[in-house]
Amino acid sequence: MVDTPAITNSEARVHERMRIRKERVRGSLIDLVVTLGTIVIALVVGFIVTLAVGKQPIAAYTALLTGPLSQVNRLGNWLQDATTLILIGLSVSIAFQARQFNLGAEGSLLVGAMTAAVVALYVPLPPILGIIVPLLAAMAAGFLVALIPGWMKAYLNANEIVSTLMINAIIANLYQYLLINFLTPEGDNVRRSALLPATSAFPLLADIFNANLGRANLAIVVVLIVVIAVWILMRHTSFGYEIRMIGANEKFAQYGGINTKRVVMLAFAIGGAVAAIGGVHLAMGVHNRLILGISAGLGFEGIVVAMLARNNPLLVPITGLFYSYLRIGGDIMERTASVGAEIVQVIQAVIILLITAQFVIEYVRTRRNRRAAEAKL
Amino acid sequence: MRDIIKIYPNGVRANREVHFGIRSGEIHALVGENGAGKSTLMKILYGVERPSSGSIFLRGKSVHINSEHEAIALGIGMVFQNFMLVPSFTIAQNVVLGSEPMRGMLLDQRAAVKITNNLARQYGLVVDPTAIVDSVPVGMRQRVEILKALYRGADILILDEPTAVLTPQETRELFAAIRQLVNAGKTIIFISHKLREVMEISDRVSVMRDGQMVGTLHTSDATESRLAKMMVGREVFLQLDKPTKERGVAMLQVRHLEYVNEAGREVVRGVSFNTYSGEILGIAGVEGNGQTELVEVLTGLRKPVAGTVSLGDHSITGLSASAVRLSGVAHIPEDRLTNGVALNASIDENLIVDRYNKPPFSRAGFVSHGAVVKHGEKMIDQYAIRAPDGTLPVGSLSGGNMQKVVVARELSANPKLLIAAQPTRGVDIGATEFMHQQLLKQRNEGVAVLLVSADLAEVMSLSDRLAVMHNGRIVAIITDVRNVSEEEVGLFMLGVKQQTQAEIEANW
Repeated sequence: MVDTPAITNSEARVHERMRIRKERVRGSLIDLVVTLGTIVIALVVGFIVTLAVGKQPIAAYTALLTGPLSQVNRLGNWLQDATTLILIGLSVSIAFQARQFNLGAEGSLLVGAMTAAVVALYVPLPPILGIIVPLLAAMAAGFLVALIPGWMKAYLNANEIVSTLMINAIIANLYQYLLINFLTPEGDNVRRSALLPATSAFPLLADIFNANLGRANLAIVVVLIVVIAVWILMRHTSFGYEIRMIGANEKFAQYGGINTKRVVMLAFAIGGAVAAIGGVHLAMGVHNRLILGISAGLGFEGIVVAMLARNNPLLVPITGLFYSYLRIGGDIMERTASVGAEIVQVIQAVIILLITAQFVIEYVRTRRNRRAAEAKL
Repeated sequence: MRDIIKIYPNGVRANREVHFGIRSGEIHALVGENGAGKSTLMKILYGVERPSSGSIFLRGKSVHINSEHEAIALGIGMVFQNFMLVPSFTIAQNVVLGSEPMRGMLLDQRAAVKITNNLARQYGLVVDPTAIVDSVPVGMRQRVEILKALYRGADILILDEPTAVLTPQETRELFAAIRQLVNAGKTIIFISHKLREVMEISDRVSVMRDGQMVGTLHTSDATESRLAKMMVGREVFLQLDKPTKERGVAMLQVRHLEYVNEAGREVVRGVSFNTYSGEILGIAGVEGNGQTELVEVLTGLRKPVAGTVSLGDHSITGLSASAVRLSGVAHIPEDRLTNGVALNASIDENLIVDRYNKPPFSRAGFVSHGAVVKHGEKMIDQYAIRAPDGTLPVGSLSGGNMQKVVVARELSANPKLLIAAQPTRGVDIGATEFMHQQLLKQRNEGVAVLLVSADLAEVMSLSDRLAVMHNGRIVAIITDVRNVSEEEVGLFMLGVKQQTQAEIEANW
C-alpha cells in the first residue's frame, strides 16, 4: 500500500476529529436528555400516585413544584438543605469514581458535626478561627473515621457496603450516647447541646440581606470552594488520575504501578472529610448546636445527588439544588395539601430505579464493547 | 455457499456476498485475519448463525440450516477452539452424549466404550475411553471432540484453529488423523492462520479478507507469502531481518525464584536464568507451566516466596510494580484487554499510566494536561496509531491499534529490560509483523528482551537463546536456536526430555 500523501492524511484527520467532536456533543446531549427524561418520568409517576391518594392532587402537585419559590423563607430552606446535600453528593462521588460503593457519608457527617461542636464549645477561639478550626478538626475526624472502611476494603477485601453501614450504626449510637450523657447541659429537658458561641456560627444570609431567608448561611461559600477543590482533585491531580484509572480498570491500574490499595483507602477517607463538612454546616450553620437526629438521613440522599450528576463534581451543585428543591417542595406539599411527603420518596425511588437501570444498560454496553474489542483482536 | 451476506444487529457486515465451495473428500483450508469473517461463515454453515441473505447447497440441493441439530442431521460437524466437553465425564460418555446407547433407563456404559473404541480404531484417533476428560491432555480432548462429531454422523468436519493449543508432536498426530479421515471419505474444512500448516495439510485453500472471499486456489499453486499478501492486502515480510549482535551485560539475573499461588500450588519452582542486553531470550513452553506467574513475579505484580531478581547491579526482588518499572523494566502483558489498557479511558490517559506522577507529566501532584496531550500526539504519530487524537477512548480502537497503544507506552519508557508475554496471541499478521519488528529493534538497540510465548515458531525465529519451561521449572536452555528442531523443543516442552542441571547452569 502506498503511503497517503501528508496533506490528505491531515485533512482526513481534521475530518475525523470533527466527526468525533460531533459524536461527543451528541453523546452529552443524549446524557442530558436521559437525565431530564428520568426526572420527568419520576415526576409523572409521582403525579399518578398523588392522583390515586390525594384529595386535591393538582394543588398538591403545584405545591411540590412551585412551593420552594413561593416565599422567601422557603427559598432560604431550600438553599440551606441544598448546601448539605451538595457536600454529601461530592463526598459520595469521589469513592464512586473509583467504583467503590461507599455508603459511609452518614457516619462521617455525624462525626463531623460532633467534632466541630465539641471544638467550638470547649476551645475558646477568636472570630474566623472560630469557624476554621472546628471545620478543619471535623474534616480530620471525618477523614480518619472513613479510613477504617477504606482500609478494610483495600487490605482485607471487606465488602464496603456492609462495613460502611455497620460503621454508620456504631457512629449513630455513639453520637447519641455522647450527646445525652456529656453534652446536654444540666437542667435542659431537651436532649441537645448548649448553643455554640457566636464566633463559631456561620453568618446567616438573613442578616446579610436583611430578608427572611431562614437558616441559610455563608457555608454556601464553603460549598463553592469544595466543589472546585474536588473538581481539581479529580481532573487535575495525580491522585484523581489514579482514582479514575482504578474506576476504569483496576487490574490495569495495578499493572501500571498504581498503588491501588492506598488510593482506594484514601478515596474513602477524602470522601469522609468532605461529608464531615456537611456535618459542620448542620452544627454551626443550621442548628448552632447538636441535636438528636441531626443528620435526618441526609447521608443517603447524597447518593442520589451523586448518581444524577454521574459523579461529575461540577454537576453535583445542579443535581443537589434540584433534589433539594423536591425535598422542600414535598415538605410544603405535606403541610399545605395534606398529601404526605412520602410522594417525594416515591419520586426518589423511581429516580433511583431508573438510574440503576441506566447503570445496567451501561454495564451491558461496556461488556459488549469489550466483547467487540476482543473480537477485533 | 453462495452470496452469503451476514450483517450483525450492531451493523457489522461480517460476510459480504461470500461464495465458498468445497468438494467431497478434500481438505479445504480457510484462512484470513481475525475479523475477516471465517468464523461467521462457518457458524452459518453449522447453523449457529443464520445468514442475512444467500443460500447454501449441499450435494446439489438447496438447504436451510437453522440450528446445530439440523447441521448435524445433514452430516456437518464442527470442532470449536474451546472444547465443549463435560470435564467430569469419561471420554466414552462424552462421545455418546446427546444420543446415548441406553439399557432401560440407564446409559449402557459398556456399549459407549465399545462405540468409542470402534470409532477410534476406524479413524486412528487414539483415546482412552474410560479416562475422565479432565485428566487427559489437550490433544486427546480434541480427538474426543472429533470422535463426538463422527459418532453423530459427520461427513463434513469443520475444525476451527485446531492446532492453536497443540504442541508440534500433537499437531503431527492430528494431521495424520486428518489424512486418515479423508481416506475414509470425510471432508475437512481447516480454519487456521498458520500458513505453514495450511501449506502442509490442505488440498485447496480459500482466503477471506474484510468479510469478502478474496479467492480460492490449489495449495500446490500457493506460497506462504502469496497467501499472506492475499490475507493482508499488501506485501508482508514474513522473514525477519535479524542481524547478528554481540550480547552485552547480564541485565536481568534471576536466581532460584519460587512462587506459590493463592491455591497453595508451587507454580514457579527454582527458576534461574540471565537475560543479556542486546539479546532476545525466549521462554517457550505449553501455556500454564508457570510462565504467566514468572512474568508477574518479575514485574512486581506478585511477590516471590524465595529467590532473587536483579536488574543490572540492583536487586528488584519483591519490589512493587511501580518500583520495578522505575528501575527500567517495561512489560507488554499477556492479556492486554484485561491488564494492558483501560478501555473506557482515553488514549492519552492510557499512555501515561506508568509515568503520570513523574515530570513532565506531574508537577507537585498536579497532572499537566498540556504535557499529556503532547505525549499522546507524539505516540500516535510515532507508532502510527490510527486515531485522530488522543481523547478517543481506547475501547473504540481496533485490536491492532490497542496493541500499538500498549507498545507505544512500554517502549517509550526507554526500558533496560523489556518483558513481552504472548505478544502476538490473537493478533493478525499485520500486527504480528509490527510487534516482531519492534522487539528486534529493541534488541538491536541494546535492550534486554525477555520474550515469553507459547507460539513455538515465534520464539524460535526471534530468540537468540531459548529457555524451555515445564511444570514450573526451566528444563532446558538452548544457545544454538538455529540448529535445533521444533520437535526437539517440543520434547522439552512436554517434559519428555530434560537437560542436566549442569548443562542449564552453563547457559544461564
